[in-house]
Amino acid sequence: MPDPRKKIQLLITSLEELRLHVGRKDLAVGKQRINAQLYFSLANACLRGRAVLLYGGMGANKTTLVNLLGSSFLSMDLDDVEDLMVTGHPEQTEEKIVGFLDPRQWTAAYAGSAQVLWTAWAQSRWKLINEINRFPSGKQNLFLEILQKRKISYAGQLCRPGDTCYFATMNPEFSATYSLDEALLDRISACVPAAQPDFLAGLLLTEREQDVRDLASMLPRFTPQEFSSLPENVAEKPLSSQVELAILCLLRDFTLCERAPSFDKTQLSAAKPSLGLCSGCHYHNNPEAICWQVDEGLSDRVRQDLRAFCRAIAYLLDRDADLLVLKAIAPYILWHRVTPLRSILERPPYFGAGKLAYVAELVEKSINRTMNERAEMNLIFSRAVDGELPVARAVEELSTFDDPIARLDFIPHLEQMR
Amino acid sequence: MKLVRFMDDAYQGKASGRRLKTRQGDMIFSLEDLADQVGEKPSRAAVEEFVPEDNSQLDLLISADPGKKYRLLWGYLSSLAAERSAAPLVLPSRDYAGLELMRGTILLQEAGSHVGMRMKGGKILVQGKAGDYLGQEMEGGGIIAAGCRDYAFRNMQGGYGLVKGNAGKFVGLGNRGGRIVVLGSCGERAGWLMRSGSLYVRGDAGEYLGILMSGGRIRIRGTAAARAGWRKKGGVIMAGSFGPEAADDVLAMD
Repeated sequence: MPDPRKKIQLLITSLEELRLHVGRKDLAVGKQRINAQLYFSLANACLRGRAVLLYGGMGANKTTLVNLLGSSFLSMDLDDVEDLMVTGHPEQTEEKIVGFLDPRQWTAAYAGSAQVLWTAWAQSRWKLINEINRFPSGKQNLFLEILQKRKISYAGQLCRPGDTCYFATMNPEFSATYSLDEALLDRISACVPAAQPDFLAGLLLTEREQDVRDLASMLPRFTPQEFSSLPENVAEKPLSSQVELAILCLLRDFTLCERAPSFDKTQLSAAKPSLGLCSGCHYHNNPEAICWQVDEGLSDRVRQDLRAFCRAIAYLLDRDADLLVLKAIAPYILWHRVTPLRSILERPPYFGAGKLAYVAELVEKSINRTMNERAEMNLIFSRAVDGELPVARAVEELSTFDDPIARLDFIPHLEQMR
Repeated sequence: MKLVRFMDDAYQGKASGRRLKTRQGDMIFSLEDLADQVGEKPSRAAVEEFVPEDNSQLDLLISADPGKKYRLLWGYLSSLAAERSAAPLVLPSRDYAGLELMRGTILLQEAGSHVGMRMKGGKILVQGKAGDYLGQEMEGGGIIAAGCRDYAFRNMQGGYGLVKGNAGKFVGLGNRGGRIVVLGSCGERAGWLMRSGSLYVRGDAGEYLGILMSGGRIRIRGTAAARAGWRKKGGVIMAGSFGPEAADDVLAMD
């Protein structure tokens, strides 16, 4: 079977030529510039059990893009793919979304277990939750269980669609929207802004004469084998030790807190950096330390998402999954999961609106720090763990490093080894 | 896999070891940030430790209105900015300008209260009238003002103060050194509890001049009002003329 990556390239070209997607190339991976909305959606199509949230104003091509990709990857008509999605509104129920008990089983002579009529959405391996923030908070909880799972349960019955690609779209906060719960946001692997077409893109769109449905039928189609082979192809992309180490340190930079239980910021509820937790801490206001700049720590899901999307984007771009890829994608994996300190975010150059840019700066800072300044302390710790250096001496040497990872991760670990 | 090999692989033999520098480059963008670090009533040393090295950032802090909450912080910052500035620093009229100033020059159109408090050097020029507590506890340097309200140069230990116009009540209260010159007149109880230093008034002085003083020298070219030198224990009071009930040792000026 030929490598489906060539077909993906053809799909990208076709989307551009047919004027079905003309987004600005807003994501730089090294010297290469790509459109984040398109490539994250494609990367998600190459993965399974991940969820990508497209975030933007009305008419920014979010839903259409996901449905067009679904049409191509599942080799279905656009109309049929559109029938697969669920759209958020307050009257949506679990029965309408997932499935309901077959009423016929109570009228016929039937003695078996309860039968559930599953919806097309529940059975699909391409799940789009449209306008997710129009679901009231209570109903959003339904997705906590479904996202990233391979099966759906209802009334004691299981639906097993298998490995699934999850997509969601949402608008900024409007009068009829509800804020998303942090636990749900943590299950969303990447959040990508979808902007309105710029001047030239708008001009290109005027050249589109045919209906989207007609054009969609001209997109290349993937065979089921090709679609199924994508996760394996992505998994073959190796991650370098540099990337693995940078991911580990990135997570610890965001999560460690000297004042949190077990030094773990995910344990905090009422006390937070934004509520004065860090006042007087010697890391506070130090621009090189990240801990005090965001309220939340990062879960292990972030590590998995970073690794998966690093590989997937590298696969799509046919390049190594290196630090440049990690630096480019990490902000999109992190920014919806954290709340930066308002006092910094509201200042220039962010003006309260540049959260993604601010998180990107923190990511850059952490990765640069790990690669340029943490080598010595990491090697001391490694040698002590491997038994090449006496633990007491390693602790003594590490105590001279005023780095949260050395102080709150390495030294406590080595002290337990004594 | 051995952890060392993983690290070696990640760093590819390039191991540099710069430590996290906790105090360098702290992001102080507002007086609120600074107060987070040093509190609202800090020492000059504490402010100096956190003050941005970048002059434009310091200018930004000084341009902010400190209100009552951060006026001490603003006072220290005004001094630090004046000390860094090669030219005289023109500042808006606010309380505590030139707090613990050590060098440099500050120019003020008008002045609030507590201007030049505990200053040790440098110069403050007030083109208009200053408020209360001008030059309080100053140890060095000089203040020149067109006029001032009450308690000017209280507990002064050194330096000089020149008031071109009139001064309010209690000029030079509790002074232990320094020189004060008032080219206009001053209010009551000038030189109260004075122990050392000098006070010269070209105009008149209010009643109870040099009350309870134990040292220093007061000279009034005009008239000292009633009870000059009341219960004084030492020091010299000379006046062009003086009112009734003056102490016996008050001298007439030639």
